[in-house]
Amino acid sequence: MEPLKILVAGPVGAGKTAFARSLLGEEALTTEAKVSEALGKETTTVAMDFGVLPVGPYRVHLFGAPGQARFDFMWDVLAEGALGLLLLLAGDKPEHLPEARHLLDYLLSRHPIPHLVGVTRLDLGRAWEPEEVALYLRLPRERVVGLDARRREEAFRVLTQLVEMAVEVHDA
Amino acid sequence: MTRQEELLALIRNLRTAVPEVSGVMVASADGLPIVHDFPEAEAPRIAAMAATSLGLGKRIATTLRLGELQETVIRGQSGYFVVYEAGEKGVLAVALPGGANLGLVHFEAREAARRLRELL
Repeated sequence: MEPLKILVAGPVGAGKTAFARSLLGEEALTTEAKVSEALGKETTTVAMDFGVLPVGPYRVHLFGAPGQARFDFMWDVLAEGALGLLLLLAGDKPEHLPEARHLLDYLLSRHPIPHLVGVTRLDLGRAWEPEEVALYLRLPRERVVGLDARRREEAFRVLTQLVEMAVEVHDA
Repeated sequence: MTRQEELLALIRNLRTAVPEVSGVMVASADGLPIVHDFPEAEAPRIAAMAATSLGLGKRIATTLRLGELQETVIRGQSGYFVVYEAGEKGVLAVALPGGANLGLVHFEAREAARRLRELL
C-alpha cells in the first residue's frame, strides 16, 4: 500500500487528539501534558499525535499538531511532506476563528496542499454551522464539513474525503 | 519564602553549582514559562520547545521500552539544550556551551528537578 501523509491541525480544543483516537484507538501515539491554563480540559498535546491506518488502497500516516500558537514551530515540522491538511475547529468557540484563519493561511502559503475544514462540537449551544465557517474562512462551501470527532465513522468519512482529494491532486 | 522565591533560589543554586550554564528554564509541562533567566523575548518559545522535547522524549522512551524518561539531550556543534522531567506538572531545561561537563550538569540538574517536583 502506498503511504500518504495527512496533517491534522487547528486551534486548541477542536478535537484533534479525539479525532486521532477515534480512528486509531489504542494504537494512537499521543503526547499529552497536564493543562496549566483555563482551557476547559485536563490535558493538551505538546508535540504530536501519530498513527497509521488504511484508507482504501492507501496507508495513511496521520500526524496531529498541537493547537496553541506557542507550538507553531511544530506545524512546519509536521507539515513537511504532507499531501493533505485537515483543519479542525470547534463550532462552539467562535473566538478561535481568527486563529484558525491565520493557521490555515500560514500552512497553505508554505504548503499549498488539498485541504478540508472540519467543524466539531456542533451539538453544543450556539455553535457556528459549517456554512457560516466557510463564509468566514472564504472557502467554498464543500470544503467545510461538520463532524463529531469522537465518532469513528464520522472521522473516517472526513479522512476518506480528504484522502481522495489528496490523491487526485497528487496523481494529476 | 513564597513559591516564586523558592523557584528563583532553585535556579540560582543550579547556576552556582554549574557556572557554565547559560540559561535555565522552569516551565509547565504544557509549555508555559514559570521562572527562567533567558531573555524575556525568547522565553515563551523556549518553554514550549522544552515541553515538546520532553513530551516526545517520553513517548519515544515508552515506545522503545527504555524505562522512565530521565532527560532529553539536544546537542549542537556549539552547545546543549537538556530537558529534565520535574513531575507531571513541570519541566526543567538548561542551555549549556559545547564544552560543558554533562555528567556534572546531569547530577545537579536531576537534583534540582527532584526539588522542583515538590514545589510545583
